[in-house]
Amino acid sequence: MKRALLVILAGLVSGVLAHVAWFDTHRPAGGEGLDSQLAWMQQTLALSPEQFARIKALHEQSSPQLLALAAQVARMRDEFAAFERERRTTGEVDFLEFAGFVEQRRAVDRECAESTRRLVLAASEILNPDQRETYLTLLNPALKGTDAVGVN
Amino acid sequence: MSLPPDHLDPLFDRWRAEAPRLAAPLAPEVWRRIRAGRDGREPRGLAAFAAAFARPSFAIAFVSACVLGGLFFAELRVSRLQAERNTQLARSYVRLIDPLLNSLPPAGAKVGTSHR
Repeated sequence: MKRALLVILAGLVSGVLAHVAWFDTHRPAGGEGLDSQLAWMQQTLALSPEQFARIKALHEQSSPQLLALAAQVARMRDEFAAFERERRTTGEVDFLEFAGFVEQRRAVDRECAESTRRLVLAASEILNPDQRETYLTLLNPALKGTDAVGVN
Repeated sequence: MSLPPDHLDPLFDRWRAEAPRLAAPLAPEVWRRIRAGRDGREPRGLAAFAAAFARPSFAIAFVSACVLGGLFFAELRVSRLQAERNTQLARSYVRLIDPLLNSLPPAGAKVGTSHR
């Protein structure tokens, strides 16, 4: 009986060790930045080294403008919230100011949509048809989402 | 015209004859055989369990199965994590290339139409 328990213990310890070792060596790496996203694209789209270099250059070139637009959009969202607060507290909104905000917001929305479209088109040109299909499938939620966004 | 002899005929003759007398009563003999069979059987329960693990081939097979099981569940966890990570990266990439996705106004928030 003692030998049976020893064998069971040895089996459990071996199983746990194998589990931990395999999990630690194959665990996906963390990170959220552009480098991680590019590595993910390389893996998901099976990019060749040349394609990866071009995609990387394209994204590094577009990234500052996209981040600036994102900051601008966030600022406008805060402005929108301020309009909403004012409406709730005073029951009124400066119509001319709000009309100016809406116009500005539409311009930013257009610029965002145009930047996204340019980047997607440029990236698609680097990819082969299969990769392009996968890429556009991945972007589908974003491409649909832009239709529903914005202050009208 | 007589029928040819059949090899079953002697058996039918014996069947018709009176049944042979037993040397001993039947029930005790049946129980004796049951006891004999039980004693000669493989060990059961814990004893069988211990006996199985005492065999080197079984012990090696058991440890190997544990290792394979550990690897299998580790691979399942890795696959699940990888899928979650891919989804997360896809979302963050989509947010990067489309700044508008970060700017959805809160649900139900609308600016009123009154003005001064």
